[in-house]
Amino acid sequence: MIMFDRRLLQSFGWSLFLMTLAFTALSLMNLYSASYQTGLGYFKKQAMWVCIGIFAMIVVSFINNKLIKQYALYIYGFSLLLLLFVLVFGKEVSGSQSWITIGSFATIQPSELAKIPIILAIARFYDNDYEGVPYGLLDLIKPVLLTALPLGLVMLQPDLGTSLTMILISGSMILFMGVERKLIFLVLAVVIGFSYPAWHFFLKPYQKDRIKTFLEPSKDPLDSGYNAIQSRIAVGSGRLMGKGFMSGSQTQLRFIPAQQTDFAFSVLAEEWGFMGGFMALLLYFMIILWILDTASRAKDKFSVLTCFGIAAMYFWHVVVNVGMVIGLLPIAGVPLMLLSYGGSSTLTALIGIGIVLGIRMRKFPIQGPAVELR
Amino acid sequence: MQDFRNRLVIATVILGIAFLGLVSRLWFLQVLKGDEFEAFSRDNRIRIERVPASRGRILDRYGRELVVNRPSFDVYVLPKDASDVSALSVNLSRVLSEDPKKIEQKIKLASKKNRFKPVLLAQDIDRDQLAYIEARRSSLPGLTIEVNNLRQYPHGLLGASFLGYIGKVSEADLLATPELNSNGLVGKTGVEKTWEGSLRGQDGFLQKVTDALGREVNSNLFQKDLVNRQSVPGNDVVMSIDIDLQKAAEDVLGEEFGAIIAVNVRNGEVLALASKPSFDPADFVKGIDSKTWSKLINDKDFPLVSRATQGLYAPGSVFKMVPSAAAMKEGVIHPDTLVHCPGYYRLGSHVYRCWKKGGHGWMNMREAIVQSCDVYFYRLAEKLGIDRMSRYMNFFGFGSPTGIGIEERAGVAPSREWKLEKFKKPWYKGETIVSGIGQGYVSVTPLQIAMMTAAIANDGTLLTPNLVIKEVAFSGQTRMNILPPRGELPVGKDALALIRDAMTGVVNGPGGTGRGARIENISVAGKTGTAQVVSLDFQSSDKAHKDHAWFTSFAPSEAPEIAVTVLVEHGGKGGAVAAPLAKKIIETYFHLKKERKANDNV
Repeated sequence: MIMFDRRLLQSFGWSLFLMTLAFTALSLMNLYSASYQTGLGYFKKQAMWVCIGIFAMIVVSFINNKLIKQYALYIYGFSLLLLLFVLVFGKEVSGSQSWITIGSFATIQPSELAKIPIILAIARFYDNDYEGVPYGLLDLIKPVLLTALPLGLVMLQPDLGTSLTMILISGSMILFMGVERKLIFLVLAVVIGFSYPAWHFFLKPYQKDRIKTFLEPSKDPLDSGYNAIQSRIAVGSGRLMGKGFMSGSQTQLRFIPAQQTDFAFSVLAEEWGFMGGFMALLLYFMIILWILDTASRAKDKFSVLTCFGIAAMYFWHVVVNVGMVIGLLPIAGVPLMLLSYGGSSTLTALIGIGIVLGIRMRKFPIQGPAVELR
Repeated sequence: MQDFRNRLVIATVILGIAFLGLVSRLWFLQVLKGDEFEAFSRDNRIRIERVPASRGRILDRYGRELVVNRPSFDVYVLPKDASDVSALSVNLSRVLSEDPKKIEQKIKLASKKNRFKPVLLAQDIDRDQLAYIEARRSSLPGLTIEVNNLRQYPHGLLGASFLGYIGKVSEADLLATPELNSNGLVGKTGVEKTWEGSLRGQDGFLQKVTDALGREVNSNLFQKDLVNRQSVPGNDVVMSIDIDLQKAAEDVLGEEFGAIIAVNVRNGEVLALASKPSFDPADFVKGIDSKTWSKLINDKDFPLVSRATQGLYAPGSVFKMVPSAAAMKEGVIHPDTLVHCPGYYRLGSHVYRCWKKGGHGWMNMREAIVQSCDVYFYRLAEKLGIDRMSRYMNFFGFGSPTGIGIEERAGVAPSREWKLEKFKKPWYKGETIVSGIGQGYVSVTPLQIAMMTAAIANDGTLLTPNLVIKEVAFSGQTRMNILPPRGELPVGKDALALIRDAMTGVVNGPGGTGRGARIENISVAGKTGTAQVVSLDFQSSDKAHKDHAWFTSFAPSEAPEIAVTVLVEHGGKGGAVAAPLAKKIIETYFHLKKERKANDNV
């Protein structure tokens, strides 16, 4: 199952590995500052998950990606089962039934863990598929369905943030594989056509508030605008050099909401300033760039698309989360991969890197004829 | 296998653009707007607690306390920090014995207006209440107890009319003086108002770090950039008033309405300024309740109006010194020239009566003053004419404020121009005639009469009445308050000497109208006045139609020290009613002086 080959170790992606390790260290440090006042519970738990995640990352990197491709749909199926399980037996936290308790201390979030199975399933679909012409509406029934099944289950929890990232990841992959131009217009038309009834019938009041607040945060500075305003104050007041480790007033006096999880980047930006925020973004940028680079060297379509999917997963988490923290996007419950507290999110992020490392180790030139982009 | 390189390049470009966007925004927030957000984060974490300055005391001329402070423990809620209003209300209701719903409503209502303004829930709570609340304060965020000072009046109602009262800071007060504490109290009238700037001092503040729930944080982390400012206590104001003399003045007035003023004729210092009826300043210390307030302002006796400085009356015969001085200066009559008083004075078809029905017979100026002969002054007024008369009224300080520094009215020194403007009518000669005896349009405050008397006594200097000798800062630094005189009377010294002699005659001479003010060993000079409220022909036993009794005096007549003016509203004859009161004040003055001297020697 796992091939121990010297060549593999020689071509191991050390730079991605080290960048990832550096990021986990940064996240633990940041979490310590954000949570030490309430005890070391968060820190210890996250440290445990980071260790498990790094171990998983290394293990996954040594699994032959052919094997992964082979089992992709089983993994996907298992993930769907978990999503069903959580709907029946899950633990409800602040209105969403998203968590499964394991033992007495650990909880996992199947919706977070479902992201990679979706990527694998879609990659698997395209790998088998006929290539050459852009995809039309009927061709896309399968990948859309592969996304819609877990998406529907996640929406039932309901978990708007995770649903959103799932749509963004799958959408990116489908677009990456090329679709007919008229289909793009059709989708745009449908989205615009449905946004009105969605606003009136599907969105919950708190979700509407978030969007309204984003458009005009000062209108309601106490309730739904509070998070957006406090986060922006935290980030801005960090200025160029930051207030120093464990010295961010917004963080330490708990003005930042959800500062261990969704707003972890506010903590970083407040205590380490623009320098810290910029370095973190640069690190994300290099990690994603490195994953895309791996994609360009991968030997088969499944690997290319898997890499791209994982790059898209990182990309959207960073854009949506940081965009929310710095007031570019409305508040949505999307964690920041590798920085936010949370076992499932950390595990997903590290397993994703593990898959990319595995693909990297087996680098061979991409085969097959070149196809022009239309 | 497709070639994905182009697509990956496009993906990389999108990645680059997106990250450039995020970094630009980060730059904008942290570098371009960083200082602004740093200020916001400071505001977030720093709560400013006001440290009220203690208001300065008001002392009498010998340092005896007229107005002091006592601490009052007040319960406030800051809506911004009150996370659990209902728990707060229930807890407070137990100790304040008030309906919890009412408290909750009050907080919520105030919270809607301004979440950052503390709401006063209870004032001046007692020790037990304080202990109960202090014990629960840490578990009830938003609750604070402030120590404020409340005014206290050791002498009760004494001097209320010039001390004035304090009240809650109004919107108008805040506009005029932005540094006032919007929850505090401010001088509304009297010395409390005029000397507000000195009495108030400067509030200090303590900056405290609070967390998102409004709880105070004591960790050292954010303490270093806190700024605290000590409060500076207000200055003590030392008045010219002698509280013993003030007490004597208010006592002798008794239940009568009126005013008694005692002034040092050499420097204008006011030793006593009594006015009745008055009010209790203690009613105002916590901010007056609307019921008591409406009772006070709707009272037909106008207790909030100080008779001494704001009451306007016809001066009657105490005014006769003005035409006397004018006539001598203008040379319209020689003081020795005799004028016959048959008991009336005829001008055209109109007859003006003298108060003495049978008439006084032949009168020179001195006798006319001593016996207060009206006919003599009708004649004088006719000879002077209104233009000269009103000029001399102005010289004596009538028709304009004295400058005492508390609420006062200017009164009227009538002239042709004044009448034309006020009534759009020309001046009639008959109006000049009655002006000669201080009737008609002439209206004055008792304080103006006192200052006129002082000017006559000190040989011609019209002084500014001075209520405050000095202010003393907490540091001990003293600032004297010296008011320049208003002017010199343009009257000859011999004329003033004659008037003083005549006034001595009023009290001591045969036929003098003010013999009721006579004191053994001390020569008192004075002038009586009986100001008509209605025409002499009008017979009525109604108190409201009774004459005002005036008496103005100075003593000792040979080397004057003090001027005393008495007005008793609807008191009747000045000689009979007002003069004995002045006598008591003068006696008290010299008695106190002697006592003080004896004590000093010991």
